Formats: sequence, C-alpha cells, structure tokens
Amino acid sequence: MADADEEVLQNPANASVQPEVDLSDETQDFRFLNNLNIYADSGSLPRRGEKDFEPNPTEHQTGVLSESRRAMHNALSFPRLHSKKAHVIAFYAPDGYTPLAEIPPPKAPQQTDKSTESAEKPARPTPRSANINPDVCVYVPNPKGPFFKSVGQSDRWNRLWLLPEEALYLIERGSLDIRWPSPTDPAIPGEDGLSIPMSLQAAWASFIGHGGLTLERYSVYSGLKRLGYTLARAPGWCDEAEQREHEQNLAPSPSYNQNIIPKLRGAGLAGILGSLFNWIHDPYSTASTTSGPMIGTGINRHYMDVYRKLAIIPWYDPITASPSNPSDTTAPFRVVFHVWKPSTPVKKSAPPTPEFRVAVLSTRDQTTMPNMTQLGALLESTPLDPPSGEKMERMMYMRLRHGYRNVILAVVDQGVVSYLRVADSAFGKEKLYENQGGPRGPKRGGRGYQKSKKR
Amino acid sequence: MESQPELPIPISYVSGRYLLHSIEAVTYLRREHHICGVLIGTLPQNPQQNVFLGLPLELMPEEARLLVDKDVACIVDEAKAQNGMKTLLEEDRRRYLRELEAEGLHYTRLQGDLKDSKREQSLKKIEEKKAKAKAVAAAAAAQTQAAEDTSLEPSQKDTAVVDLFASEDTRSSSPSTSTPPQNAMAITPATSYPPLPTPSSSSHLAAPAVPSSYPLFAHLHSRGYFLSPGLRFGCQYMAYPGDPLRFHSHFLVVSYDWDQNIDLMDLIVGGRLGTGVKKGFLIGGAQKTVDEVDSEADRVDTVRAFSLEWAGM
Repeated sequence: MADADEEVLQNPANASVQPEVDLSDETQDFRFLNNLNIYADSGSLPRRGEKDFEPNPTEHQTGVLSESRRAMHNALSFPRLHSKKAHVIAFYAPDGYTPLAEIPPPKAPQQTDKSTESAEKPARPTPRSANINPDVCVYVPNPKGPFFKSVGQSDRWNRLWLLPEEALYLIERGSLDIRWPSPTDPAIPGEDGLSIPMSLQAAWASFIGHGGLTLERYSVYSGLKRLGYTLARAPGWCDEAEQREHEQNLAPSPSYNQNIIPKLRGAGLAGILGSLFNWIHDPYSTASTTSGPMIGTGINRHYMDVYRKLAIIPWYDPITASPSNPSDTTAPFRVVFHVWKPSTPVKKSAPPTPEFRVAVLSTRDQTTMPNMTQLGALLESTPLDPPSGEKMERMMYMRLRHGYRNVILAVVDQGVVSYLRVADSAFGKEKLYENQGGPRGPKRGGRGYQKSKKR
Repeated sequence: MESQPELPIPISYVSGRYLLHSIEAVTYLRREHHICGVLIGTLPQNPQQNVFLGLPLELMPEEARLLVDKDVACIVDEAKAQNGMKTLLEEDRRRYLRELEAEGLHYTRLQGDLKDSKREQSLKKIEEKKAKAKAVAAAAAAQTQAAEDTSLEPSQKDTAVVDLFASEDTRSSSPSTSTPPQNAMAITPATSYPPLPTPSSSSHLAAPAVPSSYPLFAHLHSRGYFLSPGLRFGCQYMAYPGDPLRFHSHFLVVSYDWDQNIDLMDLIVGGRLGTGVKKGFLIGGAQKTVDEVDSEADRVDTVRAFSLEWAGM
C-alpha cells in the first residue's frame, strides 16, 4: 500500500501539469486520502490521480483497484470520536421547542433535577423564546466551541436550539454528540447516565424529512457548509412563510427605487435641459410614425438621434418593472437558502443582506427547465441588485452577466449537485450605438478598453 | 475486507430517497454488484472539503430496485425503524452503553499509543543527536576519562535496545493513565444495528418505483458497466467500464422509449458534448413495453443501444 502511494507521489510530473480542475467533479481515488494522516489535525488535499482507460486482466490493475477500495473502506469507517475536551452533548427533542416552564405539574419532583441544570427557576417564556423556529428539534444545554457562532437559536435558559440541518451537519462532522430522549419521560433528557447516543443513521432518518428538510436541500446545505459558507433558511423555505416573505421583500424595495429612479431621469439642471432639447428636436409624434417616415421629419444632427428613434421595440426594464407578489413563486422555484461567503462575518441576531440566494431543485422531481413564468416569479422574489462598482461601469459584458436580479439554482441529481446562476440581464439598457468605441469588455481588450478608461 | 454482510442488506428509505449507512454493505455492493451510489456525507477526519465525501451512500432508485430484484437488498422505512429506540429495554440500553464505552476505550488507547509512538520517535531522534554529540565530546576526552567512555558506549551503539526498553516503559505506563473508564472517548456510532434488531421481512417496503430508463440502466449494468448519475454531463447516467475509483467514464447514457420521436438537436447536442469530453453518446431503450412482458426485468433482454460520435466534418 505504501509502495503504491509512494510511486504516485514520486511521479508528480504528470499530475503537476494538470490545469485547474474541480476535484469534486469526479470520483476520487481514495488512496490519496491515505496521504493525509487521519490523526493529524489537517493536511492539504491530494492531487488528482491518474486513472486507467479500461480494465485489463493484469494483476497490477487488480491490485491497485483493491488497494483503492481498501483505502476507501478505511476512510469511510473512520469513527466519530469525542475527546473529553471537545465533547458537546445535545439532546434530541422530536416535538420541537419546549420551554422548561411547561413541565406539567404532576412531574414536579423531576423539576428539581432540571433546575440544577439551568440554575434558574422556570418562568414564563420570554418573547425571545417565542421566536424560536418551530422546526428545531435538537438542543444543546451547554453550547461551547466555534460551531455555534453561526447556527442555532438560544432560549432564555441558555440552551441552544438547532434546526435539523444544523444538527445533522454537526453530528456528521463529528462535532456533536446527540442523545436520544429518555424513553420513560421524553421531557427529561437522560441525565441518569442511560442516555443513548444517536447513531449517524438514526440522525439521517430522524432529521431528513423533519420540518421541510429534503435530502436535496440538505445536500446543498452541507456541501456549502463544508466549503465554509454561512447558510440560513430563507423565508421561502415553507409555504406558510409566504406572508413573512412578502413583508420582508416589500421593505427593501422602496429604498432601491428611490435611489435609482432619479438617476434614470438624469440629475437636476442637465435633465431639464435635456428634456427641453428633446422637446425642440423631437418631431416624432404618433402621427408622424404612422403616416410619415419612421424617424420623423425633424432635424437630425446626429446619428444617435436617428438610432434612438429607430428603437421602437419595447423592452423589459428590470428597474421599473412593477413589483411582484412573492407568493407567485411556485414550489421548487423558491429561494430556500440565504448564503454568505466565508469571509463575511455573519451575526446570528442581525444577518447582513444575503450575498447569494439559492433555490434547490431535484432532477427526479423537476425534469424540465423552469418556464418563463416560474423563473420570472423566482427572480422577482429577489431584491433588485443592479450592477455597481467601477469594474461594472466599465465593462458591458460584466454588467450583462451580473444582471439586475439574480438567483442561484442548485440542481441535485441523486446526491450530485450543480449550481447555476440565473440573472435578469437588461439588454435594452445597453445602447450599443452610444458606445462609440464599440462593445467593450475583457474579450475585445485593446483599443476599446483604453478609450473607455479615458471617458 | 472480503467480508460478506448478511443478506438481504437493508436499504434505508428516508423521505423518498435510498441511503446506505453500513460500510460493510457499501464495500460489498461495490465489489460484488458494481453498485457505487454517491457518497453524500461528511468525512469526520477531514470535514471542510468536498473532494472526498463519506457515508451515507445515496442510491438511485434504479440501483435500489436492481438490488431488490436480485434479492440482495430490501427496503426499510428507516424513520419507523428508529422508533424502536424508544422501546428498547433498559437492560439492552445498559449493555449497549457498555459496548460503546469499551469501543471508546479501545480508541482512546489506540490514540494514546499513537501519540506515544510519535513522542517516542521524536525522543529517539533527540536522544540520537545527544548521543552523537556526547560521543564526539567523549572521543575528545577519551584519553582522560576512560571510565565514562565505557558507560556511554553501549547506549550509543545499541540505541535500538535502549529504545525497546523505553517503548516498553511507556507501554506499561500508558494503560494506567488511559484505562479509567471516565477517560473513554464518546463515540457517535455509524449505524443503529445493533442496538436495534434487524428489521423483520414483514416490515420491508415494496421495490422502488423506477423511471422509464430502468431497462437501459439494468441492461448496461448486466454488461458489467458501473453507472452513476449523469448530471455533470447533462445525461441520465454515466457508464464506467470499471470501478469509477480507477477508470474514467466511457459513455453518456440517455434512454428513450422505443417509439419516441427523438429530436435531432438532442442527438447533435449529446454527440458533440460527448465527443468533446472524450466519451461516447449512448442512446437506447427497451423494445417491448411493460404490457408485452411479465416484468421490468424481462424488458432488459430487449434493450438495444447505439452510440454516437461527432465526426466534425
């Protein structure tokens, strides 16, 4: 085994010239995982391995294959251990959030056990507790460690409540020890030393399907979490949230409109003068277009005016488009996750504006591309995000690619995830004839690029 | 490694999908039945990456169906099965906890030993350096201090012997430090069997419903191909000539019904894409409909397949 590994390691010539490839795009040879000492804290990921073209009956190939399989077997049977220092225990609460105060009176004797744990006399739940998501199903009595910064909601007894996907992700990566509730009294977690740790299998069975968490949604969640992104459920998660979503979306849109509409009209005096000139020069009325020549009979001092008049085809302007009702979105085409880049600090209590909005589709349930209505409704449920920044100002193609609204479709096919970014490009807003240097962008480079810089 | 799990292998049916959690089952099915599935879990030893993923293994309904039809596997409603946890007897719970503790202790020791051997190695290096330095110093002072020289000599020459003793020392001391049960590491077990009993055959679910592409899937599988979901190349399945661990895929597979009109554009798109990624574009389907034969399995014999290559002329 070591020999085979060394062979590959010592011949890195063919591997090092590999262009940049997404390693996760293909089944990787697990032998390369062996290079990472599993007991070491971390290591860089192995390079892409060489594969054979087709099977042949040589013993060498059989040997390498069984080596690969053994490596895979070993890697996959690695146990999830909790050392004393980093041991965080959580309890499964299949019925969701239960405040400590709601322990029924007949069970009063046990209440004393509880209060020692919480060190606080149960009282009426505060409004904060009431805000806890109804889908939570695991709580951590004593949350510590770095993982709880961006997940969970704490109640007034300092217990952290986790959503099923958060709990499953943590148990999967071996950072959480979830216990079954005591069979005799589900309200009391097994403090008697008889609480059985939940197996990974049980966690998948219990959490997938709980509170709208489908396997596809979880695949997307865990895949992005593994890469370091921060994720939160979006209001489109479940159908009942439509009302909330509606309110949230209405709030930001007026400010956007205020910012953008004045720009369109042109600012101040220049705008007024412009419209005045237009009025003088503007001989084209409906009468002239129906009977006379299309560009009218007025004075045309500039080709630009001619082109402007020729633009008779109406186009869609994403900025002035009427705000839609988010409840128009149809089932899989809904934003279910808000995502932030690993570099963005996200405060649980006041998350910043999401950087990405992700809708999750399963290829087995949704076999066709979304139609225009579905896609339009999905895009309109996202806030306006016009291209901004110096780079976007300069490069038209970037503007077109960025679009005015955007959403990410995560397409999941039996565990394989692909991400598509769908953006609402406004081609009508890019007047090529105003652009004397011709279309500018990274592709043309050269002269056009220089000119635009001077402007 | 070559172990064979007890048949039929229970496949967890969770919220409409098919999952495998037992590493024995995963290895066995891959080796003996060419069923690869897709790993969708996080590897605890390296959790922040997506290149190597861990259990569970998600099976396509086609794969699950194939295994059920071969009597190799059965479908179990896992959420229901896990309810058995609530009715577990106290006696069983205690026994299970004891087993887990023993296992945890085993790993604690293992890790302790590993640490010890690492420390030993580094100590050995330091010792060797010291010994060398001393030897040099001793050689210089050899004439004057003959007595000290003789005492140094053995430790320098027979470091191996000394280390043997040293390692024995640490080994004998390590159990005393790591044996106390309160030091045992807690374990999150991978599966729930045991403590749960194997689900009875009466609780098995029906064979999974499969899409119309199943005959082609089963046909290619019976010819020794390994099949996996085709999303990355915009097809239904990718066909590998051998285990995807070691081979690249050869075909992009799309199934059509026998009398279905095929859009010429689809053939061109598939053919060009396939050729562009050095794979063949394979289309196929079963000649007979379900009404004409007794079962899905019989349709597999009537499958025909064609491969397309973009000639680029």
